[in-house]
Amino acid sequence: MSAATLRRLIVIALIALWEILPRAGLIPTLFLPSLSSTLAAGWNEAGEYGHALAVTLYEVAVSMAFACGGGILLGAIVGSLPRPRILIMPMISSLYAVPLVILYPVFTVWLGIGSESKIAFASIYGFLPTMLATAAGIQTIDPQLLLAARSMGATLSQRLIRVIIPAAIPTVLSGLRVGGALVIVGVVVSEMLISSAGIGYLISRYRTILDSPHVFAGVLLVLAMAIAFNAVIRLLERKAAIWQTGTRGGETPVEEIAPGHLQPAT
Amino acid sequence: MQPLANITPLKPAGAIEVRNVGQVFKTTTQDVVALEDVSLDVKPGRFVVLVGPSGCGKSTLLMMMAGLREQTSGTITISGAPIPKPDPNRVGVVFQEASLFPWLTAEDNVEFPLALRGIPKGERRAKAQDALKLVGLEGFGKRHPHELSGGMKQRVSIARGLVQDPPVLLMDEPFAALDEQTRMTMGDELLRIWAATGKTVVFVTHSLTEAVYLADEVIVMSPRPGRIVDHLQIALPRPRTYEMLSGETFSTLRDRIWRHIRKSA
Repeated sequence: MSAATLRRLIVIALIALWEILPRAGLIPTLFLPSLSSTLAAGWNEAGEYGHALAVTLYEVAVSMAFACGGGILLGAIVGSLPRPRILIMPMISSLYAVPLVILYPVFTVWLGIGSESKIAFASIYGFLPTMLATAAGIQTIDPQLLLAARSMGATLSQRLIRVIIPAAIPTVLSGLRVGGALVIVGVVVSEMLISSAGIGYLISRYRTILDSPHVFAGVLLVLAMAIAFNAVIRLLERKAAIWQTGTRGGETPVEEIAPGHLQPAT
Repeated sequence: MQPLANITPLKPAGAIEVRNVGQVFKTTTQDVVALEDVSLDVKPGRFVVLVGPSGCGKSTLLMMMAGLREQTSGTITISGAPIPKPDPNRVGVVFQEASLFPWLTAEDNVEFPLALRGIPKGERRAKAQDALKLVGLEGFGKRHPHELSGGMKQRVSIARGLVQDPPVLLMDEPFAALDEQTRMTMGDELLRIWAATGKTVVFVTHSLTEAVYLADEVIVMSPRPGRIVDHLQIALPRPRTYEMLSGETFSTLRDRIWRHIRKSA
C-alpha cells in the first residue's frame, strides 16, 4: 500500500472514530461531541459562524500582507547588507525566542479590542520567521553563481532579478509557510484572549458555557483555514521547486517541512 | 573567429598579454602579496595551462584576465585591449561545477549571457542549440542541471562560455570536481572542441597529468607571492592519446613540473 493511500485511510479512520466513539458513549460528549452534532451545531448558527469567519479571514489577510511583505523586504535588506545584519540579527534572533503573546495585552491597551490589535499582534508574530528565512535565503546564495553572472556581463540589477531573487525563492517560501501559519495562530489566539468577534472569540465564548458542539464547529473552521493555507503554499512550492529537488538533497522536501517548523501556539 | 570591430587591430584576436602584473590583498592586519611581477604572452589559438601549489595566485590571475578582478599593478590586454570589466564577447569563463543556474534548463543556462544583452529569443535559441551541439549535448537542452551528470553539467558550462563566440576561453579548474574517468573523457572532449573552434584557452588545474596532456604550454607558478618559475613547451604531437601518458617525453615533462612544485611545498 502506498504511503498516500495509507495516509488517506488514517484520516478517514480518524473521522469515523470522531463519529463513532462519542455515539457509543466511550467518550463523554462534553469532551468530544460527535462529528454530526458538531456539523449540525455549526449549520444551525451558520450566520454567526459566517460573520466570525469573515472577521477572522480579514484579519488574517491583512496580517499576512504585513508579515510577508515586511518580512521579505526587511529580510532582503538584512540578508544582502552586512551592516544592518550585525545590528539587527542578534535582536531578531533573541526576540524569536520570546513568547510574543505576552505583548498582546499591551496591544489591546494601545489599539483596542477590535481587529487592529489582532492584526498588529499576528503581523509581528508571522513577520519574524519570514524575515529570518528571507535573510538566510539571500545570504546563502552560492557566490559562484553571482561570479558566473558577473563574468557574463550581468549588471547589478540583472544579478538581482535573474540570480538573487530566483535563487532565494525556495527559502523565502519555506519562511512564508511558517510565517503564514503563525499569522493564523496569532489571529485566532488573540481573538480567544480578548476580543468581541472572530472564530477565536466564538470558540472561547461557547467554551465558557460548556457548549462543546459549538466549540468544535469553530475548531473545524480554523482547521479548514489552515489546510487551505497549506494547500496554497504547497502549490507555490511545487512551481518553484522543480530544481530544488535535485540541488537540496531531498526528494520531496515540500511535504516534510511543515511539522518540524511549526511552533507551539504561544 | 568573429571580427572585433571596436578593438585596435594591432594584436590579433585571441592574443593575451600580461605585463608586470602584481596583486596585493589588503587585510586589516597586513598586506598579502598574491602575485608579483608576472609577465606572460599567450599567442592566439594556443592551449596554455597554469599550474602551481594552492594559493599561488593562478586563479587570481585568471580572474584578472576575465575582468572579474583588478590587478594592483601592471597591465593585461586581451586581443590588444585592456579588460576593465567582464565582456563575454571577448572572453568566455568556465568555473568549477557549481556555476550553472539550477532553476534554468540547460539551454536557458547557455542562453543566459545572450538574454542579458536583450538578444531576441529566436536568435538566442539558435545560438544555444549550436553551442550545445558543439559540446555534444544535442537533445539535452530541456533538462535542468540536477538531471545532468557532473560531466554533462560542465559541458553546458563550456557551451555557455562559447555561446558568444569569444576568441578566448578561460577555465578555472573546470574538471576538479569530476571523477577520474569523466575527467579523462572531458579532457579529450575539450581538446576536440578546442581543435574545432581554434580558441585561445587558458586552463588552471592542480593535476600535473591533466596539464601535460592538454597543453601546448605549461606555466608553473610558485607559492605566495605568486611568480612564474617555469614555462614549458609541450612538444607532444596532436591528437593526444592515452598511450602518451606512459611515454618517456610525458613523464620527463611531468617530473620537471613536479620538481618545481615539490621544492615549494
